[in-house]
Amino acid sequence: AAAAGLAAPVSGAGGLTALPSLLALCRLTQVRWSRYDPSYVEPEVNKELYRKPWEELTEEEKEKLELKAVQPIKAAPPSLSTSVFSDPMISKFTNMMMKDGNKVLARSLMAQTLEAIKRKQLEKYHKAPEDEKETIECNPYVIFHQALKNCQPIIGLSSITKGGKTYQVPVPLKDNRKRFLAMKWLITECRENKNRRMLMPEKLSQELLQAFNNEGPIIKKKHVLHKMAEANRAYAHFRWW
Amino acid sequence: ASGPEKYTEEFIKKQIEEFNLGKRHLANMMGEDPETFTQEDIDRAVAYLFPSGLFDKQARPMMKHPTEIFPEQRKIQWGEDGRPFHFLFYTGKQSYYSLMHVSMENICDILNRNLAGSRWLTKIELEEMLLEKLSDDDYSRFIQLLEKLMTLPCVDMEEKHIRKFSKEVPMQLKKVVIEPLKYDERGVAFSTGEGTRKTAKATVVVYDNGTGKITVNGIDILHYFPVLQDREQLLFPFQFLDRVGKHDMVCTVSGGGRSTQAGAIRLASAKALRSFVTEKEVEFMRQAGLLTLDPRVKERKKPGQEGARRKFTWKKR
Repeated sequence: AAAAGLAAPVSGAGGLTALPSLLALCRLTQVRWSRYDPSYVEPEVNKELYRKPWEELTEEEKEKLELKAVQPIKAAPPSLSTSVFSDPMISKFTNMMMKDGNKVLARSLMAQTLEAIKRKQLEKYHKAPEDEKETIECNPYVIFHQALKNCQPIIGLSSITKGGKTYQVPVPLKDNRKRFLAMKWLITECRENKNRRMLMPEKLSQELLQAFNNEGPIIKKKHVLHKMAEANRAYAHFRWW
Repeated sequence: ASGPEKYTEEFIKKQIEEFNLGKRHLANMMGEDPETFTQEDIDRAVAYLFPSGLFDKQARPMMKHPTEIFPEQRKIQWGEDGRPFHFLFYTGKQSYYSLMHVSMENICDILNRNLAGSRWLTKIELEEMLLEKLSDDDYSRFIQLLEKLMTLPCVDMEEKHIRKFSKEVPMQLKKVVIEPLKYDERGVAFSTGEGTRKTAKATVVVYDNGTGKITVNGIDILHYFPVLQDREQLLFPFQFLDRVGKHDMVCTVSGGGRSTQAGAIRLASAKALRSFVTEKEVEFMRQAGLLTLDPRVKERKKPGQEGARRKFTWKKR
């Protein structure tokens, strides 16, 4: 309690960036520990950042670079690379689709899905009249990102127990949580509601194209969640964070 | 409504308009020029028109500008939906606390001097210095006291004392020695590198003036690594430095599995490439995480549990 009392005036406001030693000290015995020392920092793989010459960098970036020169850096994980084909969202989605650690299968399914999307869009493109050809999006990565964005809920529900009863309280969601929910819904939808003979890539490409056009069961699920949150807005003041 | 009455902006504006109008009417009534009717004239006119014998001057009829009558108050701090504008509204003293926040930030900005160059002593070093055992709590309290000391203005006087507790942190890069290039019989520059990951060990020889051919244990990478991810990992250091078709590589690798061997070769080739490249690019490679040995290994199984983390099925009885 005394330590916490001393900590308050020093690390109160924007202290996190200015006091790295304190942050590392916050818990001397870690609860969730990793093989890396706590002082190790995540690696930055983006090539463009390293291309910029010294003069073009802003004050902040120069400071960050100087700080990084003295900090040890973790090794880059095997799914991260500078090639044009690696996309963090797609890697995350592939990992979520993976079962029993079979990354090879998950990656091939993902590749087949993107191919299927491309094929369907090209078919539509060739059949469409001249003036509509520009509106049809053929890049599967763009479709994937847009579809995921359309599926993300803005507000979620959280169970809070008050006075013996549990209420569903509407709660704002963090970015990570939104992305996770969108991807989870997509995958569960594709695994459960399909015919016996239909394969995963085809079903996934169907769902992604529907989500891209703001239709389909996942968008409906998102709207249902929003309506529930709207209905329960009387309990919004139960949230204390 | 609880508390003193709140005046909205429109209300005050209306009062000002009414006051100005009333001032002109009063001037007309007194037969004077409305443009040059000052506050003293208003007071005299009101005292003449409404004589009052009341003792308290504040109780007598008066006509003053609304800003003097309605005390300057905070305008209503919340919007139409009842949501307050300032994020610290519910503390009760929003301006005070936001002032404290701003002052604190200014203090923290002054702290920026000692950042990149040095670090505080660790707990073990401090114990050695004091020859006494310390608890974690004691150590964190001491560090917080030192940080607070750094924020005070006249730190330079005590700098000698503080320097006893801080240590220089050398640039991470300086710890590693970069070997110079070697030349073989044909005159082609080459360099070797070694890398490990989990249980896989790899040794790599990178030749200059090459076409981008990579051989692993005598087999071409297309046949040795059928999976795309592994080949991406092998080419990662070359792609990062934009030297994809310029080097030849001969690797020997043993142990581990498919992905582990790829990671070991990646580390070995990054280490070998250091001799071909400027110091700045070596620093960039380090910041991209290419030169760090991955310390993650398989966690041991613990007694009383089924695996490293998985516990036995919980049975109620």
